[in-house]
Amino acid sequence: MSDPAAVEFQHVFKTFGDRKVLDDVSFKVNEGEALCIMGRSGTGKSTSLRLMIGLLKPDSGRVCIGSEDIVHSSEEDLSRVRRHMGFLFQSAALLDSFTLEDNLALPLRRLDKSKSPAEIKRAVDETLERVGLDLDIAKMPSELSGGMRKRAGLARALVLHPKLLLVDEPSSGLDRITASEIDDLLLKVKKEYCSTLVIVTHDVRGARRVGDRIAVLDQGRLIGLGTAAELDKSDHEIVRQLISES
Amino acid sequence: MGRFFTFIGEVSSFGLKALVGAFRPPFEWEFFMIQIQEIGWRSLPLILSAGFALGVVLSMHTRGTLVQFGAEALIPSLQSASFFNELGPLITALLVAGRVGAGIGAGIANMRVTEQIDAIESLSVDSFKMLVVTRIVACILILPMLTLFMDFASMAGGFLAEYFASHISLQLYLDRAFKTVEWANFIPPTLKTSVFGLIIATVSGYFGYTTDEGSEGVQRAATNSVVLSSLLIILTDVVLVKAIFFLFPRNAV
Repeated sequence: MSDPAAVEFQHVFKTFGDRKVLDDVSFKVNEGEALCIMGRSGTGKSTSLRLMIGLLKPDSGRVCIGSEDIVHSSEEDLSRVRRHMGFLFQSAALLDSFTLEDNLALPLRRLDKSKSPAEIKRAVDETLERVGLDLDIAKMPSELSGGMRKRAGLARALVLHPKLLLVDEPSSGLDRITASEIDDLLLKVKKEYCSTLVIVTHDVRGARRVGDRIAVLDQGRLIGLGTAAELDKSDHEIVRQLISES
Repeated sequence: MGRFFTFIGEVSSFGLKALVGAFRPPFEWEFFMIQIQEIGWRSLPLILSAGFALGVVLSMHTRGTLVQFGAEALIPSLQSASFFNELGPLITALLVAGRVGAGIGAGIANMRVTEQIDAIESLSVDSFKMLVVTRIVACILILPMLTLFMDFASMAGGFLAEYFASHISLQLYLDRAFKTVEWANFIPPTLKTSVFGLIIATVSGYFGYTTDEGSEGVQRAATNSVVLSSLLIILTDVVLVKAIFFLFPRNAV
């Protein structure tokens, strides 16, 4: 029997009111793979990430993280699964009343209760150094630039050494150079942590660079899944348009 | 009208859920202490300065009238009766509704809009307990204490105004002020502000936590929090005063 995929969607349906956001979507993300999800706005990309971390439940279908079906799991089981996951939100979502240090310490205090305060401090220092923010440890989120905030959000997502990293629009609101620096960090994370990455993005260049495969969603349906080279030859006009660099 | 009752039902169930949550572990002590500081400590300058100024103003107004009847000796007791019974609790609650209510509404709504609440939930932390329950409990506990500060600041203001007008001694002023004050007309009005605290934090927390309209929602949450909690405080005060008169009939005399 083969190992379970890092993430698996099985016939997932999700609606918000009358709007069908995901319509019978099925795919797998393999261990250690970076999958980029692309598509026009409002096609269910961010919803897919939220389903993966259990912030939303599908109307029907299964969402499996490893061998765990998180749709039907208890809060305790979901918490155990989340211990191995990190989420970089589009807006970084740093708690604005906390310093950078406290923002990073929060996941350790809440999801890894075995660590002493000294170990937490060490883990926070190491992770901030990894993303180049070790000198900004005492700063409040409001004192950081957009790119720094994104890196801080990434540091918080990485502080638990996640096996699965979910990233929502890493390059949104950033200039080309800063976006490229974030892509570099993601590649470094993938290599050093051997993490599986699921990245929602509109940035074609970044997706081609970081993603091993690309999934394309349109009107709630998965219309393309494969490597960039495979999708370049897709019969689907929208797929070719979305992943075209020009 | 149907929508109004639906709204009242939703806010009530929101508050009830928070009160039940307050007694169920895990307890968010760290966040609770942050709220105590934010709601209590940071409101103190406003409460003290407003209380002091109102004490001076009330004393000046009553003096003008009472002097005509040769009853200026009643000024201290009128001052203490007005503030301990009604003005202190009500004005404290309205000031806190303005300062803290808007802060709670806008703060939580902003956290919703900027995905901070999702970030908290993604760590398997109950964001409702962390953000709403802590604020509600802090408001319930802090309001009576702030009311005491308002009462005594107003007495200080009243004394100062009287001192400059008639050179009354502090001992005589306090003696006259507290001669008519009994526990029954001091404790219940002070404690009723816990209900005002519950109203402020519940209404503001509800508007903030349930917003889904982006930055416009943040603004609306702040405005609605202040307007509705102020209105509910005044309406509830009528009921609470009636209840206090029923339970402590001497207060009504």
